[in-house]
Amino acid sequence: MDKRRGGNDDESPRQNGAPAVRRKGDQQQSDGGDGGLGPADLHDEDNDPGLRREIRSKYRDLINSVQQNREDMLSPSNNRLTEVLEEANKLFKDVRQAREAALDAQLLVVATDLGKEKASQLFAEGTAFDPSAFAEHLLSFMGLNRLEDGEDEQQNGADGYLPQDAWHRVARRAECCFRTAPSFHYMMGSFHAEPPPPKQRIERQRKAPGKEAKRIMPTQLKKMEGSHQEATEKEVERILGYLKSYYQDDPTSPISYYEFVINPDSFSRTVENIFHTSFLVRDGLARMYLDDDKLPCIAPVEEGEVEAGGTQSRKQCIVSISPKTWKELIDAFDIRDTMIHPPSTQNE
Amino acid sequence: MAQRKRLSNTQSSSQSKEEDEDTTFTQPSTSQVQRGLEKLSSAQVDQKTAEVVQYFLVRDQKKIPVRRADLVKQVVQKEYRNIYPEIMKRAARTFDEVFGLKMVEIDAKNHMYILINKLETVEGESPINSPTNPKMGLLFVILSLIFMKGGTVRENLIWNTLKKLRVDPGEKHDEFGDVKRVVTDEFVRQRYLEYVKIPHTEPVEYEFRWGQRADVEVSKAKILEFMGQLHDQDPQGWSQQYREAHSTSNTSQASTSSQR
Repeated sequence: MDKRRGGNDDESPRQNGAPAVRRKGDQQQSDGGDGGLGPADLHDEDNDPGLRREIRSKYRDLINSVQQNREDMLSPSNNRLTEVLEEANKLFKDVRQAREAALDAQLLVVATDLGKEKASQLFAEGTAFDPSAFAEHLLSFMGLNRLEDGEDEQQNGADGYLPQDAWHRVARRAECCFRTAPSFHYMMGSFHAEPPPPKQRIERQRKAPGKEAKRIMPTQLKKMEGSHQEATEKEVERILGYLKSYYQDDPTSPISYYEFVINPDSFSRTVENIFHTSFLVRDGLARMYLDDDKLPCIAPVEEGEVEAGGTQSRKQCIVSISPKTWKELIDAFDIRDTMIHPPSTQNE
Repeated sequence: MAQRKRLSNTQSSSQSKEEDEDTTFTQPSTSQVQRGLEKLSSAQVDQKTAEVVQYFLVRDQKKIPVRRADLVKQVVQKEYRNIYPEIMKRAARTFDEVFGLKMVEIDAKNHMYILINKLETVEGESPINSPTNPKMGLLFVILSLIFMKGGTVRENLIWNTLKKLRVDPGEKHDEFGDVKRVVTDEFVRQRYLEYVKIPHTEPVEYEFRWGQRADVEVSKAKILEFMGQLHDQDPQGWSQQYREAHSTSNTSQASTSSQR
C-alpha cells in the first residue's frame, strides 16, 4: 500500500486535485482497516504527532508565502511559483493524514489561481501593467527623498521619507481626471448665533426714575448707574448739603424721607429729588431706615461711618412715584414747603 | 450578467430597503403632471424646485448619492408628488444653467442621482489654487490600479500596493486615518468603488471594481495619460486599456457596461 502511494506520487500530474482526494480516501480506509497490520515503525510515523505538525506547518508556510508575495510570484521575471510547487511535491511524499492533504489541496488552489493569472499576463496584449513599478513611480512623483545606496525595496519605511504634501501632490495631479462637482458651501458661512450681551445696565438706567408704587420701603441701598453729568453731581452735592444742614439743626429728630424729597409745588422736581437722593444712598453718604412707625427716614452718614457702610451687605430697592401718590403723600404728611429748594432759587 | 447579480446581492441591505420605499412611488404620467401643474401656481413650483436644488447641493457635500425615495419623502412630499417629473426637469435645468452641473442618474434601478461637473477639465494641473483633498489622491491610485488591471482586482492587490506607498490598512495613517474604512466604506457609499465578495472563498475575500459614480465622473483616458507620463511610456502601449478608455470616454451617461 505504501508503494502504491509512492507510485502515485511520482506519476500523477500535480495540476489536478483528484489524486489527492483519492489518496485521502485510501488513507482513511487504510487507517480504519489496517489497525493492526503493517510494520510497526511505519504506523508510528503515520501517527507521530510531531512529524505531522511539522508537515502541516511547512504547508502553511508555503501557503502564506504564496499569499504574501503574490505580486512577486506573478512577476514574469522569476520562477518562484514553480519552486513553491516543487517544494510542495516534496512535502506531499510525507503526507499521511487528511489534515495535511487538506492543506495540500489549499496550497494547490492558491497556486493555481496564481498560475491562471500568470497565464493571462502572457496572453494580454500590449505592455503588462506592473503594480510594483507603478508604486515606485508614484513614490518618485510624490517626492520621496530616497536614502543613499541600495536599500532593499522590501524594507518599508527604511528607504526614504515622504514629504508632508505627498498625497496632496497626487490629488492635485489627479484633479483633471475627475469631473467632480465642486462642493457647495455658503461663502460667508452662516451667522454665529450668540446670546445677546446682558442688558442689565441699560435696564437699570431706565428704571432710575422708577415706576412701581410701593408704600413700604425697606431701608435698602440702591444700586444705580448714574450719569456722569456734572450737573447731576452738583445737584447731588447740593442735596447732601441740605441733608447735612437739616440733620445738624436737630440730630435727634429723624428726617422723614418723604418730607425731604417731596416738593409740593412740582411733581417733576420731586422726582428729581428722589433721583438725586438715591445717589447719596448709593454712595453711602446717606442712609435710609425705618422709624418706629415704619416710615422711611433719611440721615447723612457720619464721616467715619462711610467705610463701615461699604462692608455691610447692600440692599436694593426701587422707588417709584406717580402724581396721584405724590398728592396723597402731600396730604398725608401735610407738606407745605419743600425742603430741597430748586436750583434757581438757591442762595449761597 | 453574473457579475451584476452579485452586485445586487452583496451590496448593503439598505438597498433592498430603498426599493421597498421606492415602490410606493410610481412615476406619474404626463397627463397627471399636466393636471397637477394646473392646480399649482408657478411660484409654488419654483419654490419646490429650489428646495430640490438646495437638497441636492447639500447632500453633494459628502458626495453621497441622492435617492429618489428620500427626495420624494423629504422634499417633494405628498402635495407635489404628481408633478415630480416636472420638478426634476426644472431642477436639472437650474443645475445646468446656474451651476454648470449635471444631474445624473447613476442607478436606474434604484433611482440614485449624483451631481457632476459639466465643464471640461483643464489639461494637466488646474491653474486654480484650490485646496486639494488627499483622499482624492488615494482614490485615484486605487481607480488606476483597477482600470489598468482590467476592471476587477482582488483586494490584496490594492492593499499590497498601498503598503508600498506607506499606506497600511492595518495601521492608522497620518493623512487618512482608518484607511480600510475610507476605502471599503466611504468610497463605496459614495459609489466611487464597489467592494464585492468573491463567492467560495475561505476566508472571505473581496474584489474591487469601479463604482457607478466613478463610471460617470472619472475619465479613463486621462488616467491612462497620467500613467503614460508616470511610466514614461506611450499610453497606446497599453492597447487594451487604451481601447477601453477611448470607447467609453465619449459616453457621459451612466451605463451598465461591464468592465471586462
